[in-house]
Amino acid sequence: METIVEAIELKKTYLLGKVPVNALNGVNLKVDRGDFLAILGPSGSGKSTLLNLIGALDKPTRGRLMIEGIDISTLNDNQLTDLRRRVGFVFQFFNLIPRFTARQNVELSMSIADVGKSERIKRADTLLETVGLKDRMSHKPAELSGGEQQRVAIARALANDPKFLLMDEPTGNIDSKTAMEIMGLIKGLNEGNGVTVIMVTHDQRLASQSKKTVMMLDGSIVQETVN
Amino acid sequence: MRARDVLSYSFSAIKLRKLRAGLTTLGVVIGIAAIVALLSISQGLQSTITAQLERGFATDTLIVTAGGGGGFGMGGGLGGGGDSGFQLLVSDTQTINGLPNVDSSVAIIQRVVNNVSVGGTNKTGTVTGVDFAGYLDIYGDTFKASNGTIPIPPANDSIVVGKRVVDPRLNGTTIAGVNDPIGLTWINARANATITLSGHITAVLNEIGSFGVGGPSDSGVYIPIAQAQILFETNECDMIIVKLKSSDQVVIDNASSAIKNAFYGEVSVISATAVLGIISSIFSVIELFLGGIAAISLVVAGIGIMNIMIVSLMERTREIGILKALGTKSRTVLLIFLSEAVIIGVIGGAIGIGLGWVLANVVAIVFRGGGAFMGNQAAVNGGMTITPILTPTVFLGAMAFGIGVSVIFALYPAWRASKLKPVDALRYE
Repeated sequence: METIVEAIELKKTYLLGKVPVNALNGVNLKVDRGDFLAILGPSGSGKSTLLNLIGALDKPTRGRLMIEGIDISTLNDNQLTDLRRRVGFVFQFFNLIPRFTARQNVELSMSIADVGKSERIKRADTLLETVGLKDRMSHKPAELSGGEQQRVAIARALANDPKFLLMDEPTGNIDSKTAMEIMGLIKGLNEGNGVTVIMVTHDQRLASQSKKTVMMLDGSIVQETVN
Repeated sequence: MRARDVLSYSFSAIKLRKLRAGLTTLGVVIGIAAIVALLSISQGLQSTITAQLERGFATDTLIVTAGGGGGFGMGGGLGGGGDSGFQLLVSDTQTINGLPNVDSSVAIIQRVVNNVSVGGTNKTGTVTGVDFAGYLDIYGDTFKASNGTIPIPPANDSIVVGKRVVDPRLNGTTIAGVNDPIGLTWINARANATITLSGHITAVLNEIGSFGVGGPSDSGVYIPIAQAQILFETNECDMIIVKLKSSDQVVIDNASSAIKNAFYGEVSVISATAVLGIISSIFSVIELFLGGIAAISLVVAGIGIMNIMIVSLMERTREIGILKALGTKSRTVLLIFLSEAVIIGVIGGAIGIGLGWVLANVVAIVFRGGGAFMGNQAAVNGGMTITPILTPTVFLGAMAFGIGVSVIFALYPAWRASKLKPVDALRYE
């Protein structure tokens, strides 16, 4: 299996006011193409920090983080930006642009990647159909339920044919019934379409849906389970 | 992001905050409108004055007055009565006529008389004593009879009057005509004597509608120079108007210095080009001043833009975080914010130019109407009308200035937005 993400002794220190906080304390992790990895842990365990680093939203303090064999700490801002375009991010709070319709939100990530208008619309429609929002394309986020908004966010994350999906508590803001539906969608994408998924959650039940689970505590991985 | 996508993204952000964007744009509109209105009125005024001067003051003529010692300014030149007590004489035209480049010259004696009695009305007026033939030679276009003929040589009681003298409101209601008697009364304060001249109107001039230095005017009364010398008991003249053989700048300069030298530097020589030059420089100062005042309002508008942008930046921190997380380059975020400013600048500029133009025309109409209400006073203005002028320079300059101010004041907020770190921006509540 081809390794797509590899963290070696990864460290991240924040300054909280003037107090340094070690969010990551030397994390070692390997994710292969086609994996479905769940990162489990209580709040403050560093799982979101790890996800932000993998998504090139932040830079590590120490250690190495290889994405497809390239150490991201060697990349400049522009290269990091390019990398972000090939990472599909799904957030707990959806983070859709409120004034845009579902279709426009999906289009946005393609427009950022310089895709032409007609191709954008075509692909946005296909993706929204895939996530089951065929009839809600012209609705704005405020007119959609939480589950529907998260589906739009997933369609947006898939728009630029990403190397992997990064999901930060994707069902944290959704009722449990809808959460299971979303999980079903994610599993389908992973198993059916071969999309690599890295998901952060603190919900043991959701984590058990993944192929592999790592448990984090105080900035370190303390347990690794293959489901 | 493609340029078109950046623009449409910015536009959607503006559309979301219509009232706020509208008010911000209003600031730009007011600034630009003020600039355009003030400049187009003052340029219109300048061109009216210049045109009237050019009609009343041919470019191939010079005006020679006593005093000044080579003084260049209009005030010094026209003030006459030099410090040294030197005075120009009517007969000095002979000296001037003998100089190279000079075609002819005519002496003018001008007095404000206490009473001009014509058609049963009595008014003060300006009487000009002049050699009719010589005056006609220089001011052939304006010293032209509409009724009667300008007599050459004139009889002692021949008097030529401007249109307003017999038709004060220039509306066809005449109070006197050719061959009617006209009386002039002048009180010589120095000799403490009252002198009168009775004559006949032999010609009424065409309406001139302009004013000029030395040239004929609508409210002027013209008598033969010999009669003026008798009436005003003087051989001194107020000015000598010189017609040159050409309106070449070199000819003007050479003749000017030749005339000055001939009178040992005791005279001032003014040329039309010099006067026009002075007027144009006065107007550039006025325009700079007016433009500067208007520009201040635009700078205030710019601060408004900056304020709005910073508020908008805070409100949209999360949105910027999303954009960056999706892979938007910092430069693109900068462009998105700047293009919002450009959109505001373009819309504000376009509306402002239109509004300023309307405003300038309204002012021009009010000015014209006011002139009519003032009645006789309008005669003093010479019935002047201002036609506002919007030059391409003002048009483009105002537009560029509007956009420029918008962009400059948006630079800082836009730069701050572009520098936001995606993680921090996404965490912002």
